Amino acid sequence: MKELSLNILDIAENSVKAGASLTEIRVTEKDGLLTLRIIDDGCGMTEEVLRRVTDPFYTTRTTRKVGMGLPLLKMEAEMTGGEMTVTSRYVGDFPEGHGTEVTATFYEDHIDFIPLGDVVSSITTLIQGHPDTDFLFDHESDAFHVTLDTRELRGILEDVPLNSYEVIMWIDSYLREQYEEDPLS
Amino acid sequence: MKISELRQDIFRPLCLPDPDRDIRGVYMGDLLSWVMGRAEEDNAWITIMSNRNVIAVASLISVSCVILTEDVTLDADVLALAEQKEINIFTTALSSYDACIALYRMLNE
Repeated sequence: MKELSLNILDIAENSVKAGASLTEIRVTEKDGLLTLRIIDDGCGMTEEVLRRVTDPFYTTRTTRKVGMGLPLLKMEAEMTGGEMTVTSRYVGDFPEGHGTEVTATFYEDHIDFIPLGDVVSSITTLIQGHPDTDFLFDHESDAFHVTLDTRELRGILEDVPLNSYEVIMWIDSYLREQYEEDPLS
Repeated sequence: MKISELRQDIFRPLCLPDPDRDIRGVYMGDLLSWVMGRAEEDNAWITIMSNRNVIAVASLISVSCVILTEDVTLDADVLALAEQKEINIFTTALSSYDACIALYRMLNE
């Protein structure tokens, strides 16, 4: 994909489809290494599914015969010298504490590194499309620490839906302002 | 133009499970997600990418063939997958740009 933020959108959509009530999207940038973690409390995957999850010819979709989300993310990570791992606890085996964690690392100084892009738009798109699901976004680097937890927002907003226009605009501004803040000021 | 009519001194077949496919148009691109959204069925797809995701994208779009440029080839397991999924694969010493020109000439002869 042209931007890693589109991968984030794609993978997090899978989390929602897996019935996650909370999806954490954590990005850290330290010493030239970008680590992306998407952690959900959805239904998880069986060992059989987990084994095949990076095979593009394996997909849970019924609308097309290939699934490219994780295979592309893995390829993009490996193109920079990084890697991608997926761990999962299937609800059938773990009635409590089930879910999936996707971790991908990217070396930012590699020439084939795909930029993170507009991650704020990915987050607002997710919230807009899935107002009843919670998302925790955390992006930390030496220059900034951006964070948003929709569970906190939900408590403040009470009955106002998270995908109402004003709330989405506020979230967008809130996140962008955090990127612009000078941590030394 | 049929796949089998491509000049094989320029485009060397690595695997031709479906040689009767027609080539209708050409798409060149290496960013797989971009190609997924833009290449069209029966296109000849020109790329330097060579992993199994290429076969998945080719299968998804149903391109008539994949042409690997700059002498790029496929590992044996990826080639076996291409055969299994009936994806025609060629390789050429030409650059992607020159491969486009060569294909343009062949398609318009």
